[in-house]
Amino acid sequence: MAEKVDLYDDRGNKLVGDVPLAAISPLRNPAIKKICSLVTRSAAVNLAGLETRIKTGALAGKEMVIRGKTMNLDIVGKASAIASEMKDMLSVDGAAARVEPIMGGKRILVEVPAERILADYSAARTNTMAALTQAVMDVCNVDMWHADIVKGGVWGGYPQDPDMTGTVVATLVDVPIRNEGPGYALRNIPVNHVAATVRKRAMPGAALSMILEESACYEMGDAMGPFERGHLLDLAYEGLNANNMLYSLIKENGKDGTLADVTYSLVEKAKADGVIKAKTKLGSGYTVFGTDDLQMWNAYASAGMLAAVMVNCAALRAGQSVPSNIMYFNELVEHETGLPGVDYGKAQGASVASSFFSHSIYGGGGPGVFHGNHIVTRHAKGQFIPCFCAAMCIDADTLYFTPSRTSGLYGEVLGAIPEFAEPMKAVAEGAKKVM
Amino acid sequence: MPQFTPGKSKIGENRRKFMDKSKKLDKLRDISEEDVVRLLAHRAPGEEYKSIHPPIAEMEEPECAVREMVEPTEGAKAGDRIRYVQFTDSMQFAPTTPRMRPLMWYNRHRGIDVGVLSGRTIMEGRERDIEAIAKEYLDNETYDTARSGLRGRSVHGHSLRLDPNGIMFDALRRWAYDERAGVVKYVKDMVGGAMDKEVTLGKPLPEDDLKKRTTMFRNAQGGVWMEGDDPEVADVISEIHWNRTCGGFQPFTKRADIKGNKDVGVKFKPYTPRGGVE
Repeated sequence: MAEKVDLYDDRGNKLVGDVPLAAISPLRNPAIKKICSLVTRSAAVNLAGLETRIKTGALAGKEMVIRGKTMNLDIVGKASAIASEMKDMLSVDGAAARVEPIMGGKRILVEVPAERILADYSAARTNTMAALTQAVMDVCNVDMWHADIVKGGVWGGYPQDPDMTGTVVATLVDVPIRNEGPGYALRNIPVNHVAATVRKRAMPGAALSMILEESACYEMGDAMGPFERGHLLDLAYEGLNANNMLYSLIKENGKDGTLADVTYSLVEKAKADGVIKAKTKLGSGYTVFGTDDLQMWNAYASAGMLAAVMVNCAALRAGQSVPSNIMYFNELVEHETGLPGVDYGKAQGASVASSFFSHSIYGGGGPGVFHGNHIVTRHAKGQFIPCFCAAMCIDADTLYFTPSRTSGLYGEVLGAIPEFAEPMKAVAEGAKKVM
Repeated sequence: MPQFTPGKSKIGENRRKFMDKSKKLDKLRDISEEDVVRLLAHRAPGEEYKSIHPPIAEMEEPECAVREMVEPTEGAKAGDRIRYVQFTDSMQFAPTTPRMRPLMWYNRHRGIDVGVLSGRTIMEGRERDIEAIAKEYLDNETYDTARSGLRGRSVHGHSLRLDPNGIMFDALRRWAYDERAGVVKYVKDMVGGAMDKEVTLGKPLPEDDLKKRTTMFRNAQGGVWMEGDDPEVADVISEIHWNRTCGGFQPFTKRADIKGNKDVGVKFKPYTPRGGVE
């Protein structure tokens, strides 16, 4: 993987040139490693929620009330003391945990040290819960006869429900039982969380989303051996604006271009760069195109797909059209060339069911709560979900599940970390260190 | 210049015409803007547009490079509600097919959300954009008053037999046929609700005119048979299939090096005889 690309930011400025593909690998790039590590180690505690639950007996949420199991504890008022005790418990020797009360003590941000995770990333959540339970009991002087109320309030429906319904500790990655399959942890993050984290800027949003998706592909065993190059090319061209192609496609078609115009611009670019070549001319004059490098073609098509989604969604200033845009970008590109759509047809396939599930035809979903860990989205590996994230960034609050509604807390907390706020720049800086 | 889609036959030509935005589609009728609003039933004629957010110019948009590069549509600029228009196309040689509509619309319009489900095609978008597009596609050659339908719900009928006047079945009886004048009128709106006034759409196209304009391959009732009469379309579809299959197997291996690779235009024996089986 000595192949090189130039990385550009979301405004078409060159960040770093001649980056070997290996330098943007999630196994090597320090920024990507930090993003993945923080995603698995960060937790947000809803202290105000815990206080209310303990006060009302609604220990595992609204419908799980145990009458009489109530206490009046000033948890929010004692947030600093609780945080301080949690920090002592969660830190491991020299590796300090980050435990900070925010929003006047209504919330606590927790970063569990990597040393706590031996094999299962769930340790971030379980350790935070256990530390919170103990800290509340100590700081608020809860005795043995009332300990169960605090534990129930913190852990929700656990252990009857391994999903921990009603818990007051939220993590970006969900518990393993919620994963569609092995290696899916990093795909199980709703796009609204990512959109809120980058302050609804479409290109950095797509970049962060793709970093998580592609990193998951490594954990799923999908980027093994000769398949790895394909994943890195996709990440470079779609997620990291390699060679400024994504930016140029949008710029060229932004003023009055349609989705199809972006598609045809992409095909022209692939022809000009020698990625695809005329193969056969048919009776009507139609030319079938071929390629000797399907992985490179897939990376071009992936960038084109994201550009097409961005142009159409931004013209609409709404995110709802993303599944349809994915489908018809692929349909048009296939019919224009005879070559396969993104991920060899899998992006188009996944878009069919995604349309169905995001348009209230089947229940009340929306593109903002989609993630790569779902039966209707998981088949295209890496290229699909960044389009949803870009669409939700662009949406002018036309949808029910908006980032501000579902993910405000994540935005406030994670948006303050530079690698999350500016992922394209962070990965470029990281690449410099390992080139 | 894009090549759009293959096909040597009239069907291929028509498809390319519908998809090519540099080609003007024939205008067959002129439904007034007020009648289009009446038919869509999203607002009363003359009523102001409702909005779901303030005009874009008055909003504080994030500092997003994509937003700065992409111009919003007129409806998006104004903060219009998201509304829809939906068409049903009969498989008895309606000018367009449900599958062609999104290919045509995504070539010709921006800021839209199109979906196809069996015989109907829905387009969602900002209200004033949708009204303008609805008018265009009620007026032009992609719509026939007998074989196409404007249907918000109870859309079915696309695969059913026609009535004695050659009109597509509609369970809600939105249309009425004036036998004396030979014209189709809409007596109910798109979702089957009452309208304050009927809207005359006009005369259906003659059968041979429909067959000239259609974008549908059909191996029955005098239609063009894709495999028999225009095999290059099937050849390109098969090429896409092989590229998907080989890419799904080993995208790092050249297709020519994969055992069993077939080139463009593999001939196969169709199981259906000419004229189909009825």
